[in-house]
Amino acid sequence: MSENHALLGITPSANPAEIKAAYHAKLKEFPAHKYPQEFKAIRSAYETLQKDSQQTNEDFFEISPATVKLDQQALQGLRDRVASKLAVSLEELICLTF
Amino acid sequence: MAKAVGIDLGTTNSVVAAISDGQPWVIPDDNGEAILPSCVGLGADGKLLVGQEGIRQYAAAPERTIKSIKRQMGTNHKTNLGDREYLPQEISAIILRSLKQRAEKALGEEVTQAVITVPALFTDAQRQATKEAGEIAGFEVLQVINEPTAAALTYDFRNEETERVLVYDLGGGTFDVSIVEITGDITEVLASHGNNRLGGDDFDRRLQLHLIELFYQKHQVAVPEDAAIQARLLRAAEQVKIDLSQHAFTAVREPFLVSQKKKALHLEADLSRETLETLLKPLLMETLSAIDRALADASMQAKDLDRVILVGGSTRIPLVQSMVSEHLGQAPVAGVEPDLCVALGAAIQAGVLSGESIDAILVDVIPHSLGISAVADTVFGPRPGMFSVIIPRNSVIPISRSEAYSTTFDGQDTVEVNIYQGENAIARENVPLGSFLIENLPQRPAGDLKIEVHFDFDHNGILAVTATEQGQGQQNSLIVENAATSRLSSQDLKQSRAEIDSLFEVDGDLEDDEDQDMELDEDVEEEKDAEI
Repeated sequence: MSENHALLGITPSANPAEIKAAYHAKLKEFPAHKYPQEFKAIRSAYETLQKDSQQTNEDFFEISPATVKLDQQALQGLRDRVASKLAVSLEELICLTF
Repeated sequence: MAKAVGIDLGTTNSVVAAISDGQPWVIPDDNGEAILPSCVGLGADGKLLVGQEGIRQYAAAPERTIKSIKRQMGTNHKTNLGDREYLPQEISAIILRSLKQRAEKALGEEVTQAVITVPALFTDAQRQATKEAGEIAGFEVLQVINEPTAAALTYDFRNEETERVLVYDLGGGTFDVSIVEITGDITEVLASHGNNRLGGDDFDRRLQLHLIELFYQKHQVAVPEDAAIQARLLRAAEQVKIDLSQHAFTAVREPFLVSQKKKALHLEADLSRETLETLLKPLLMETLSAIDRALADASMQAKDLDRVILVGGSTRIPLVQSMVSEHLGQAPVAGVEPDLCVALGAAIQAGVLSGESIDAILVDVIPHSLGISAVADTVFGPRPGMFSVIIPRNSVIPISRSEAYSTTFDGQDTVEVNIYQGENAIARENVPLGSFLIENLPQRPAGDLKIEVHFDFDHNGILAVTATEQGQGQQNSLIVENAATSRLSSQDLKQSRAEIDSLFEVDGDLEDDEDQDMELDEDVEEEKDAEI
């Protein structure tokens, strides 16, 4: 991840436009016909970062499911009430049955 | 320093261009003609006729005249000319040799290096044959580049904003479409698609059939299969196509086409542009689906395109222009001359590669997927002989990719690596590029041995494949320079070059005013002898 950023000479916070500009600058420095190995490494770093940034964009725009914060105290109270009711109802159930 | 040139080796026409003071320019012949028809013939006296001279004798002597040799490139098709058989790359070499001579005369110095263009969809074998043609002609071929990409290099509205451009290249024999992204002096190809067998030649043939039909309707006599008569009709068909690209109506007059019982029958017909369009439309529909596939491969829609450029002589046909603009929802721009921009772009790339100070950076893609035959999961369960893609089409080149495979049965001691190029899911339906074995593998249960297959595709389009067994490191590799077809050995290449040289020398002897050419020829000869 950070290795790809280092190859293009950018920070991990770079946006897609900055990634592309950095890639173009590297292309000028390492043209494919003279530096095939460097070119391949730069290209693969660029493709990975491009994919990553697309991913985050997609995540950003995706409709996320509704989330609720639960009040732990209220939840505990509810639990206790249900438990006591359940205990009572069990005894009653036995009485009722026999 | 010797000059490098760019050459558009076309199906019907070829063009050579060079760089002077950082600018590309097309080198004309002595008569000021920029275009050399890709036609090679032998005169009745055995004199070599290249270009316009060849075209001139075509209708009279089709058996001694070769046109559209580009369509045979990459095959073993032999053509007879005089007392010798020629491979397609040898005929192409004669055309290239003629352009080399033209360039040397105009530049007043030796020209030894060239960038030659090919359709984007050309296969490995066709590219290799093109490179060989260059070598036979006496060039060091710096690079073989794609025609639409070369055209995009001449695109002259460059600014720092990224522009997305569609290049629609319909020539004499081939069709390409490329989606290109241009940012300042960087030209990046995003996707290419096309058809290696669609172009002006097919339109001419379609019209020729129509003329035959018209002749039959009028006289109730079939046009005989005679080569000279058919050649006349083909020439007439081409003229009709050209006329109807400029005018709404035209007339065909071929007097004394056929003689029937001492009576001469003439072909006389009036044709409208509408008729031509009805004939060509079905052929052109295919180019529209190619556009759609290229757009899809580039993950784009028509509305994302900033410009559409038309390249190639066949884009002069009004129907081509209207179909493309209707399909894409925007009119193509009139840019550089459609016949010349490919050669100009090739000259720019030649300048870059030979170290001229030109700022142009080209990022191109591989047109076909590359992979091997392997067992793969399908809806019917695991099947052998499926095509496992290692480098997908439209990947940026040069590129290296690896894929891991495992053995399929217990105790398997040999693995055969079969390499293919194409898009079909069944391996053998694709173009085979070669194969090799890895032997003496250790005895292991199925799936236990891992084989890594590594593909390395360089910017000259040469593929190197290495397969390695990962445990003990058994290894084998193959360099596909194209294997299967018509590759000439260096000895054959040298001999072919000498023979074609001698054809040109005989030619030179016959012409008094070509003394300067002769001198240059000799220089080149000496140079070559020293090289070998």
